[in-house]
Amino acid sequence: MNRFLWMSLILLATSFGCRQKVEAPVHRDYLVISTEPATAWIRNFNPFTAATGGGRWSTLAAIYEPMMIFNRMEGQYVPWLATEQKWMDASHKELLVTLRSDVKWSDGQPFQASDVGFTFDLLKRFKALDASGVWNFLAGIDIVDGLHVRFRFAKPFAPGILLLMQQAIVPEHLWKTVSEPVSYANENPVGTGPYTELRLFENQVYELARNPYYWQKDKAKVAALRFPAYPGNDQVMLNLLKGNIDLAANFVPAVDRVYVGKDPAHHHYWFPSVGNTVFLYLNNAQPPYDQAPVRKAISRALDRDKIVKVAMFNYTEPSHPAGLSKAFEKWRVSADEKSGDWVHYDAARAGRELDELGFKKGKDGLRRLPDGRVWSLDIGVVTGWSDWVRTVQIMAKNLRDIGIDARMRTYDFGAWFSQVQRGEFQAAIGWSNDTVEPYEFYRWLMAGSATAPVGTVASSNWQRFSHPEVDQRLEALAGSFDGTEQQRLVRELQMIFLREAPAIPLFPNPAWGTANTRYFTNFPGPDHPYAVLSPNYRPEILQVLTEIQPQNAAISKL
Amino acid sequence: MGKIFGRLGFYGVAIFLALCLNFIIPRLMPGDPMSMIFARFQGQMSPDAIVALRQEMGFTDAPILVQFYHYMTSILHGNFGVSTSLYPAQVGSVIWQSLGWTLLLAGASLLISFTLGTILGALAAWNRGGVIDRWVTPALIFVGSFPYFWLAMLLVYTFSYVFEIFPIGHAYSDGLKPSWTLGFALDVLHHLCLPAVSIILATLGGWILSMRNAMITTLGSEFINLAQSKGLTQRVVLFRYAARNALLPNITGLGMALGYVLAGSMLTEIVFSYPGQGFLLVQAVRNQDYPLMQGLFFCITIAVLLANWLVDLAYLWLDPRTRGAQT
Repeated sequence: MNRFLWMSLILLATSFGCRQKVEAPVHRDYLVISTEPATAWIRNFNPFTAATGGGRWSTLAAIYEPMMIFNRMEGQYVPWLATEQKWMDASHKELLVTLRSDVKWSDGQPFQASDVGFTFDLLKRFKALDASGVWNFLAGIDIVDGLHVRFRFAKPFAPGILLLMQQAIVPEHLWKTVSEPVSYANENPVGTGPYTELRLFENQVYELARNPYYWQKDKAKVAALRFPAYPGNDQVMLNLLKGNIDLAANFVPAVDRVYVGKDPAHHHYWFPSVGNTVFLYLNNAQPPYDQAPVRKAISRALDRDKIVKVAMFNYTEPSHPAGLSKAFEKWRVSADEKSGDWVHYDAARAGRELDELGFKKGKDGLRRLPDGRVWSLDIGVVTGWSDWVRTVQIMAKNLRDIGIDARMRTYDFGAWFSQVQRGEFQAAIGWSNDTVEPYEFYRWLMAGSATAPVGTVASSNWQRFSHPEVDQRLEALAGSFDGTEQQRLVRELQMIFLREAPAIPLFPNPAWGTANTRYFTNFPGPDHPYAVLSPNYRPEILQVLTEIQPQNAAISKL
Repeated sequence: MGKIFGRLGFYGVAIFLALCLNFIIPRLMPGDPMSMIFARFQGQMSPDAIVALRQEMGFTDAPILVQFYHYMTSILHGNFGVSTSLYPAQVGSVIWQSLGWTLLLAGASLLISFTLGTILGALAAWNRGGVIDRWVTPALIFVGSFPYFWLAMLLVYTFSYVFEIFPIGHAYSDGLKPSWTLGFALDVLHHLCLPAVSIILATLGGWILSMRNAMITTLGSEFINLAQSKGLTQRVVLFRYAARNALLPNITGLGMALGYVLAGSMLTEIVFSYPGQGFLLVQAVRNQDYPLMQGLFFCITIAVLLANWLVDLAYLWLDPRTRGAQT
């Protein structure tokens, strides 16, 4: 008994002694990134399943690269593995892409047009890999020579360029022998990206070292990226505050005080509102929400300023009337557009409009539906998604103020998701398509073809809206390659949105991004907005990961 | 011996029933596993790809009985299938990777907590109204009534964040490669302290209380008076006579707790980012990953039954009456 006691005391004492080593070093050569929640990493670097959750985040952010990257801060393409893309014919059915000549795979082999051809051929042969559905509009792909590929379109489809350009390319010489690419774990990845060399892989941490053959010779100056596994926001927060994480995509409450205040010289954040807009969806298949005036009146009753301030810590702003975030800046109609005034808070007017529509208040102060029942409205939200829960609480109060018996209903994620997809809900708060293409955004939000009857799963247009004018404009937009024409069509789509109010825009999601500049520098920020800081956006983060530099290198440059 | 193996038939039936429940319960959850994969995409995945991926992952619309047949046959072959949320990782290897850490954390803290609690409980009853009885026990019961994870968070905040005595999380320092060296073992121990202490603090009170209560009953028995009057030393009376008999209800409790080792440390593991099974189970449930859930539940089932069997054995050893019934 005594001996054991002593032994444990000694062990305990020595382990206390270890703590010297744990303390933050003055210099470190690896950049610590926290993105995916996990407690143990699974060794999977398959770039095709990375998007569906199987593969590691880094696969599409540091190892494999696309031909071009759409930069949502600048609203334009940044050439990456390709230098140029242009239409070869007036009918827009053949797209010629010119590739860079100086790119090598991380095993030293040259990158060629055949790799691009092989990748797209793989998507054709294995439908499960074609996540963005490029073969819905492609007819074929030709390898013109070592540096040129030609995409043949089945029909003119302008939004397809984004999907083609942002597809991650894999090396033919290694993947041609993979017989089951869908379930392939690709444990030792070879890519063209800046960080490809797995120098450490343990269940709770892994490291990717610099690609020795990286084509942007003067960029990607960090020795390695380190990915510690943390299961949730709490664990990330503690490490973030301790300065153990350099780049993260986490929601931080009261960030100025909590995070920046800890180390004002090094702790930075940038939450630009370029994410997807959060909407309140009213089920258009259920009366009275099938009437646009009712939807507009409900929208008028919502105090978005308060929602943004209380529920979102002022990190965002009330939505643009047509639901487009800042990522669509060049497309947006004026925020003062008269027909979009229903996104502004005016409870008195909302009440008047509902009175005029015949929803009179009863003696109890609650409005009655035409059949005489009390007007009650359940708003569904996911349990524990605290920003959304707060938003719904404010909205329910707003609606009760104008006489609608609104209540928040919290559901487990699976139950919430199943309800919205099947259209079996009255009202629900939800996301919208996270894209930079206006076509994709509005198709997802209001195309008749994008929805499904109530009871069947619809992956988009949960509120079951449909209008022939929308479908017609979307079709025209898909086939339009003329800038002015596209502007006009996107404007018309917005005007239809303002007129019909198919969904109620609340606020755009901020692109959460925090950076610690103690060891590294040249992160993007409000005064240096070359790309989004948030690691949530792939492949855009490639631009950031190639620009970040070790702090001392920057000093020596000065 | 016959007694030990005679109950094996019972365990066989229990395993079968548990397997059936493992199959049914996940399927009673609202929602659809495939749309969970969809969800992480926030609408950007083409429906064709979803259908193809669905087939690839082995989701079928086959009748439930056919699914059940496939499930049972693959389990009998030791194949738990492919996890859908961590696709294409095998459920077996995913569980195996984290099993060791959970066993280490939960096992160590349970054994320490049980041993310490039993000893303290026996002493508390022996010296009724003493320091242990009047102060230590109520204090620990008070601490133990906090939620597990809250206690864990409090410890992390105080000892890792404010005072920096222990690491914030993980089972070993991030740069290290696991190896069988003293340095690594010490590092693991250093990381183990805080999570283990949080579990021990939360459970110790219960062990003390049940041991103390059993002891008090036992101490009132005739055979204790006999032992006293035989002039045996107090130490012998306390441990050989009273404690041994009072241990029985606590052993039953230990059996149940052992079974819950795999599931019970879930929240603690999440708070400490411990690479065990805790977060795995949460993730599996959240993503409706049926194969992973089935695998994890199966492990828990086996652990509970194994623990029960060990308790049966312990009873035979501790309580001669159960042996007597046999012969």
